[in-house]
Amino acid sequence: MIFKKLAAPIVCALIVCSSCMPQHHDRIVVASKNFTEQAILGEILAQYIEYRTKVPVERRFYLAGTYVCHQALLAGRADVYPEYTGTALTAILEEKPSGNEANVFQRVKSEYAQRFKLDVMPSLGFNNTFAVIIRGEDARRLHIHTLSEAGKYSPQWRAAFGYEFMERPDGYAGLARVYNLHFAQPPKAMDLGLLYRAIKDHQVDLIVGNSTDGLIQALNLVVLQDDRHYFPPYDAVPIVRQDTIRRFPLLKTALDDLAGKISEDEMRKMNYAVDGERRDTPVVAREFLKSKGLLQ
Amino acid sequence: MLHYILFHQREIGEATLEHIWLVGISILIAVAVGIPLGILMTRKPRLRTAILGSANIIQTIPSLALFGFLLPAPWLGARAERIAIVTLALYSLLPIVRNTYTGIMGVDPAVREAAEGMGLTNGQLLFQVELPLAASFIMAGVRTATVISIGVATIAAAIGAGGLGEFIFRGLAMVNNQLILAGALPAALLALGSDLSLGWVEAGLTPPHV
Amino acid sequence: MQSMTDNSSHDGESSPAGNVVEFRRVSYRAPNGQKVLQDMDLAIQGGETLVLLGRSGSGKTTSLKLINRLLQQDAGEVLVEGKPTTQWDLIQLRRRVGYVIQEAGLFPHHTISKNVGVVLRLEKRSRSEIRERTDEMLRLVDLDPAQFGKRYPYQLSGGQRQRVGVARALASDPPILLMDEPFGALDPLSRNELQQQFLRLRDRLQKTIVLVTHDIREALLLGSRIGLMESGTLIGSYTPEQFKVSDDPAVRAYIEAFGGC
Repeated sequence: MIFKKLAAPIVCALIVCSSCMPQHHDRIVVASKNFTEQAILGEILAQYIEYRTKVPVERRFYLAGTYVCHQALLAGRADVYPEYTGTALTAILEEKPSGNEANVFQRVKSEYAQRFKLDVMPSLGFNNTFAVIIRGEDARRLHIHTLSEAGKYSPQWRAAFGYEFMERPDGYAGLARVYNLHFAQPPKAMDLGLLYRAIKDHQVDLIVGNSTDGLIQALNLVVLQDDRHYFPPYDAVPIVRQDTIRRFPLLKTALDDLAGKISEDEMRKMNYAVDGERRDTPVVAREFLKSKGLLQ
Repeated sequence: MLHYILFHQREIGEATLEHIWLVGISILIAVAVGIPLGILMTRKPRLRTAILGSANIIQTIPSLALFGFLLPAPWLGARAERIAIVTLALYSLLPIVRNTYTGIMGVDPAVREAAEGMGLTNGQLLFQVELPLAASFIMAGVRTATVISIGVATIAAAIGAGGLGEFIFRGLAMVNNQLILAGALPAALLALGSDLSLGWVEAGLTPPHV
Repeated sequence: MQSMTDNSSHDGESSPAGNVVEFRRVSYRAPNGQKVLQDMDLAIQGGETLVLLGRSGSGKTTSLKLINRLLQQDAGEVLVEGKPTTQWDLIQLRRRVGYVIQEAGLFPHHTISKNVGVVLRLEKRSRSEIRERTDEMLRLVDLDPAQFGKRYPYQLSGGQRQRVGVARALASDPPILLMDEPFGALDPLSRNELQQQFLRLRDRLQKTIVLVTHDIREALLLGSRIGLMESGTLIGSYTPEQFKVSDDPAVRAYIEAFGGC
């Protein structure tokens, strides 16, 4: 009898709740991956799109990596997210990590349009390459600046990378081959945010982060030079669903406005403002847009 | 810490509501599916291994993997919340199905025989005897499922379904413990609160006996 | 000792219309394949109290459950009021046949009154009728409705619970009553008390009763006729007087094995 009484409210609740699920086609969903720079870029895109198109923007940040973001765009869960050309080339298109900036951009743009009906927009202005990082004190003690020089010390070191870097074709396997890296233990895979904590606390001696990470300076770390040009260019580009652009033509204008607006140094500063100074992502993004005259 | 939570009060409140919404809907679905499945098992013993086995296997799949499997699914994939709700509902199935089954099977055979002998139909037996006597068991299953779901739902933020997990992932990305706690603490309180309140409901449903 | 006309019902098939319950060459196999009943014939006339007596495994309880179709025979026919049980509407059949089992099987989540009124509620009788009838039934089994009606089964003694079980079975006034070791789980004192009460009820209500027991003394005390069962069939049927003096080897063997009288 209890269950007869419960059945009706349960069914009603299900109906009410499923109908109050927000409908997607009246808004633009901006996604980002799960590290600070992505959240800042996502916030910049979101705020500017909202301002320029007057369409409500929903934020879906901290998605678990490239695959999840790409799938979100394909399935229509999201409309725009910031990506890096080299990542798109290797992780999504599964091509060899090679070519110069313009070449990689063109290949990615035409393949994405053809295979996924996704538009790759012009670069936001900076290249965020992978950064192989050691502690500043180690770099000074051993007098090393480049990855080639690091090879012979690697057997004394423990290393840690993000999950993606372990797997992707432009990731660990190739890097180890090109620079002859052999570590004391098999490298650990961990969440990107935890990498900096691990190297700071001497749990590991070498990590692979992003060249624009704010914590590199904040924690007094050193980026080793990719002197054999293993990594392809990773220009930051917004990727957007073609049918969303058809629905909201102003979206394309908005993304074009942002082309070339963020330098590598500006990006690093914003990352530091969030990671180092503990400032709020939306505030940092708004200040940047205002400083560029893009927001009133 | 307290200062931080107070400062982000509104944001945390919204995420908490989102979290409750995700867990609530998925538990409702799991109840709507799990109780009939549990009943079916008591009626068709042959299906027992198949149903319990599948629910068991689902339970052993790591949650992030289950979220991942469903990413490209048609319709479901159209919204991250759908994936999250289906995943959470799948996770909640096992305790609800299992407890419905054991609750009904635990009814004294003499009571069932007397009921049948008096000419209760199958439906009358189920709704007037078996389910009321199994209600506290079923509620215990719902309670377990809810507490598990509140935890698993934090991981749903990884695919963009929102909820308190967003603070945890943001905190991980920024190496910021306060942010992690801003997500973890309300989630823990939520789990504790629902455990207590559902435990209270469960006690109310327990039939009077020695 | 009892009022029914004595009868010899061995030639049951000659007057099937007079038999309230009748078994015709009934066989039953347990789900595990074991033969429980084999070609059993039985005829029970209106108003008599037939006690099925036999050791455990002889098929007494199975026979009982075939009457209200809790089980269904593999071969032969069971007729209730002249109609094969397979042709009865199952619910109708069970409403015509009251059923009392050893542990009473009361619903633990219902009060005593609610337990007694179960079938009346299912039959959608009016509230006042249900209350009246429930109280009447409780008084019939010597339980004060005011004192016991609101209690739950766990608050009653075993004997009291068994009385409620009888009251519940009688509530919708079924013409046939099946009782499976109804007093088997009680202490000797309560058993005696309930047996005496049973005799009073039997004479007052004039139901057709089939009672299963393995206790010879109970059979002799309560039955107007005793059917002795062995390895899945009825091997003879006697009045209590006939039973006591029978020189049938099966009867002698049973009496010797299970306490003389």
